[in-house]
Amino acid sequence: MSLSVARPLVSVYSEKSEVVAGAALPLPFVFKAPIRPDLVNDVHVSMSKNARQPYCVSKEAGHQTSAESWGTGRAVARIPRVRGGGTHRSGQGAFGNMCRGGRMFAPTKPWRRWHRRVNLRQRRAAAAAAVAAAGVPALVQARGHIIEKVPEFPLVVADKVQEINKTKQAVIFLRRIKAWSDVLKVYKSQRLRAGKGKMRNRRRVQRRGPLIIYHKDQGLTRAFRNIPGVETLNVDKLNLLKLAPGGHVGRFIIWTQSAFERLDALFGSWKTPSKEKKNFNLPQPKMANTDLTKLLKSEEIRKVLRAPNKRVVRATRKLNPLTNSRAMLRLNPYAAVLKREAVLGQRRTRNARALALAEKRGIKLPEDDTAVKAEKLREKRTKAIKVAASKKPKKPVAKKTAPPPPKKKASKEKKPAAKK
Amino acid sequence: MVAVTEKKASAEKKVVKGKEDSKKLPAVPESVLKHRKRRSALRARRVQVTIKRRSAAVKKRKEIFKRAEQYVKEYRIRERDEIRLVRQARNRGNYYVPGEAKLAFVIRIRGINQVSPKVRKVLQLFRLRQINNGVFVRLNKATINMLRIAEPYITWGYPNLKSVRELIYKRGFAKVKGQRMPIASNTIIEQKLGKSNIICVEDLIHEIFTVGEKFKYASNFLWPFKLNNPTGGWRKKTIHYVDGGDFGNREDKINELLRRMV
Repeated sequence: MSLSVARPLVSVYSEKSEVVAGAALPLPFVFKAPIRPDLVNDVHVSMSKNARQPYCVSKEAGHQTSAESWGTGRAVARIPRVRGGGTHRSGQGAFGNMCRGGRMFAPTKPWRRWHRRVNLRQRRAAAAAAVAAAGVPALVQARGHIIEKVPEFPLVVADKVQEINKTKQAVIFLRRIKAWSDVLKVYKSQRLRAGKGKMRNRRRVQRRGPLIIYHKDQGLTRAFRNIPGVETLNVDKLNLLKLAPGGHVGRFIIWTQSAFERLDALFGSWKTPSKEKKNFNLPQPKMANTDLTKLLKSEEIRKVLRAPNKRVVRATRKLNPLTNSRAMLRLNPYAAVLKREAVLGQRRTRNARALALAEKRGIKLPEDDTAVKAEKLREKRTKAIKVAASKKPKKPVAKKTAPPPPKKKASKEKKPAAKK
Repeated sequence: MVAVTEKKASAEKKVVKGKEDSKKLPAVPESVLKHRKRRSALRARRVQVTIKRRSAAVKKRKEIFKRAEQYVKEYRIRERDEIRLVRQARNRGNYYVPGEAKLAFVIRIRGINQVSPKVRKVLQLFRLRQINNGVFVRLNKATINMLRIAEPYITWGYPNLKSVRELIYKRGFAKVKGQRMPIASNTIIEQKLGKSNIICVEDLIHEIFTVGEKFKYASNFLWPFKLNNPTGGWRKKTIHYVDGGDFGNREDKINELLRRMV
């Protein structure tokens, strides 16, 4: 239910295309009907088949021979051949669609289904859609009409127009309301048809111009009928083939005032069904609120959506933790401790070995030798710790098993309690 | 469907709210204000979340450290225990029979073609679908019999700690949502195995090596290991290890093979 219909006022233009003050009409509800180009196209396709004349080939075509196949054994193809002799035709192939002078494949029949019936409801909905589309200047321009200078859309003209009976006046009127450029376009588009239609009485083509919809014909049709492209239509007999030529919505329509006023009675509003069309109410739109941007930004919809996941997950390169220390620490922080122990242990054993060897061989190592220095440092430290421990008040000192991972610097810190 | 942008009809302009007093400054459209407010609320929430996440990560790291330390101790004790028991028994003139192995590492030696159906099924059940694929298997009567069925196609044995560690660290990939993902961080493990109280690689190694209660989940979490061909080559894939070949149970010697294959 398009509850959000606002009915703006459409001003009426006199035949001299000045605004008639005070005569502003509210927009009929038809112009708010859902615009369904797909529906209009479907209905148009079916409707335009209804004016067709049947065509077919003659039913004896290709069979007016008494040809018979020669059979096998004569070194010729087995196609039926014309009997007799004494003429070119004898012995030629006949009857087949591949033969010269034979009948065509699937000869066209007059009982082909030429006409299509369209559901009444669909027809009416398509008409409503076409009228609604004609009220949107963007669509009319998209269809190709020249409507730049037209003062208002939909274009409603005073009823005086219905009394125009001279083509000259009609032209002046069209000029005044700036519809003439559309007619000029028609002039420019007049050309010969491409193809065989030329020799089939469809020689010239031109595009469509404005459509004038009236309520009472007091000379209007005769005045406008010689202007190329312009068509007239009675509002009681709206024709989809004229409202949406080619199946494309958005014809440039000029309404007369009384025709415009009839639209409400013809199509009704959603609340009130149509008076003229039995059992008809305007079709319900699929979306009541079509402003997609507004919908997407609305709080009600935003609240129900989950948060956008903008994190792009890229494939990580696998680094071998057994060789890459940072990868190892990421997985196992204790590895730093183990590594450190290994390094220190190695150093310690190396130093101890050097000292033991020196002692065994009876060599005195120089003062700046690493092993000697390390040993001296260790003795100094144990002494300092003993002193500090004795100075402290006797409290049970909790033995720390492992301190938090030490920084990997080349400092010569030793754990006095654990090793040895 | 053509959107009926109600142009000529009631076009709703963006309601211009904002500073009412401003006749000099341009009014800020409501949408911009709403956008700003939403963004600042989001930012505040995100900061909170990051703080929480970071503190949780720090706590977890401490926990992982403690566990790893405890495991190192545990492995050491285990190793020394075995040795101690052997020595003790020898001292008394007795014999110490160590427990039968609980964990096996099974490697598929042979390729895809011309495999008999029973063997094929057993290999599928072990997830050994490709040559040189390896999996950890818990040893019990059922699995030992399965291994016997597939014997000519596999070689297996009892991996030691170094083998287990090397396999998981170097060749360990996780099965995450049906995908084979490298174990680049402990979060992958925690998300999948957090329920089994396995939150880091060391937990995983421990569970596998000591065949704990959640061995099934730990081992299934690991994608079957894709190993190299052994440097130095095979002996003879077509006969049993015992006969000078390669297939079948080679008990401890699997470790030496794994050094060459991982």
